[in-house]
Amino acid sequence: MNDFTPIPAPSELSAPFWASGLDGVLRLQKCARCSHIRFPLDPICPRCLSSEHEWTALSGRGTVQTFIRFQRAYDPSWEDRVPYVVALIQLEEGPVMISNVVGDGALEVEVDDPVEVVYEHLGTNAALPQFRLIEEK
Amino acid sequence: MNHQGHGPSAVIAGVGASRQGKFPGSTDLSLATEAVLALLEDCGIDKDDIDGLLTMPGTTSRDPAKHYLELGEHLGINPKVAGSLQMGGATCGALVQQAALYVEAGMADAVLCVFGDAAKTGGSRFSAAPGRDPSWKNWGMFGNAANSAMGATRHMALYGTTSEQLGWVAVNGRRNASLNPDAVMRDPITIEDHQNSRWIVEPLHLFDCCLITDGGVAILVTSRQRAKDLRQFPVSLLGMGQGHTLETLARKDWWYLPHQQDCISRAYRMAGLSPSDIDVAQLYDNFTISVLFWLEHAGFCKPGDSGPFVEGGTRIALDGELPLNTAGGNLSESYMQGWLHVVEGVRQMRHGAGVRQVKDAQTCLVTGRGMTLNTASCLILGRD
Repeated sequence: MNDFTPIPAPSELSAPFWASGLDGVLRLQKCARCSHIRFPLDPICPRCLSSEHEWTALSGRGTVQTFIRFQRAYDPSWEDRVPYVVALIQLEEGPVMISNVVGDGALEVEVDDPVEVVYEHLGTNAALPQFRLIEEK
Repeated sequence: MNHQGHGPSAVIAGVGASRQGKFPGSTDLSLATEAVLALLEDCGIDKDDIDGLLTMPGTTSRDPAKHYLELGEHLGINPKVAGSLQMGGATCGALVQQAALYVEAGMADAVLCVFGDAAKTGGSRFSAAPGRDPSWKNWGMFGNAANSAMGATRHMALYGTTSEQLGWVAVNGRRNASLNPDAVMRDPITIEDHQNSRWIVEPLHLFDCCLITDGGVAILVTSRQRAKDLRQFPVSLLGMGQGHTLETLARKDWWYLPHQQDCISRAYRMAGLSPSDIDVAQLYDNFTISVLFWLEHAGFCKPGDSGPFVEGGTRIALDGELPLNTAGGNLSESYMQGWLHVVEGVRQMRHGAGVRQVKDAQTCLVTGRGMTLNTASCLILGRD
């Protein structure tokens, strides 16, 4: 697991996103004009086109809209992780985020299961937001 | 058929395809050229009468945005209209639409639409990760199958759709391909073969996924007047539509591709037709689940009912109520990103599909989709 390095050098746009998890709180861009919370990250708000935004703290809770299981790695950096789950997470605050379901029972995840964010720290300036099942399988 | 349509008067007057499969030494240009030569033979048009060139660059194209330049020079064409477009599997339909509009407006009279790709021997990889910044690879989301697999999982959870039901789409495609001498994969398969094929990404097996092939396809759109001088029965464009979700992830129910329903509704409206008027369908099958979604989006069954619709394979067989992907599709004929779906639709409307011909077919729906579940186009082909 030690050579698992999926996070690229954070860009100007994404640096706050990656750094957010260092204190365990999920933050996404919230438009300063229309309050729309967005994902994927974007320099402008896709709803009102304003470029003003703040990084707003979210509850970190959501549900699994859908998921897939990778039984093989399509990139060498994932070889130690198979099988693993990639999921679309419907966040409480609205956006749908791509992520992983990890931890106890992750491989038995089902659609609409409630989940909460957990972070895997990678280096000193980035943490990968993933989700774990709230209820035991 | 009594339809009150307002589709373009332009027609598809010629089609051509290269060999399909694995051809070391071939290039996207050589394969496209093979297809164009086949088209000239098919319809008898003089190359010098072609006054439009619209192309789709393949995965091995060196400079995709300028693909029309390279191909036009290669073919010795100086057209009135030209261009290249990349919308994945929705491109062919979109280019035929564009060609028809050029003809309709009098800007050109014989527009050649062309695709060629040496994806098999050219080392194209279909396992890249989509996404912007952060990229989806940060969460291990790799490959073209992954997006569609997401849709399959939720469809299964909401409606009880099963992997075996997906398998019937693959079995049907192979059954039709076995009747198609030009198809790459012709040995019949069973549901058991489908279930035993390896996971590409769960819940999709290998046999849920399209082939990777070398090949080229060409389609000629002309005025009805010009078509009278050519060899083939002119195929009408009764309806045409597009729909796109460019907000990947952010649009509600993105996994279900809501734009596909819009795309087909627009074509039905143009054609003055409804689902029960469609006699045969070529539905874009990059993955089996895509076909299930199309069946629902096109109104052949209710949302959620596509699994039972295909189960057993009788409804979608050549002699069924909705013959589907009659040449084998992306899954078994060849992965020409939807171009061969249009060619097969044209052959069915010419009543020239040989042993695969759907008896008395008067209409054919052809659909295409592409990118990260973003783009969709469709054509309703007809005989009048």
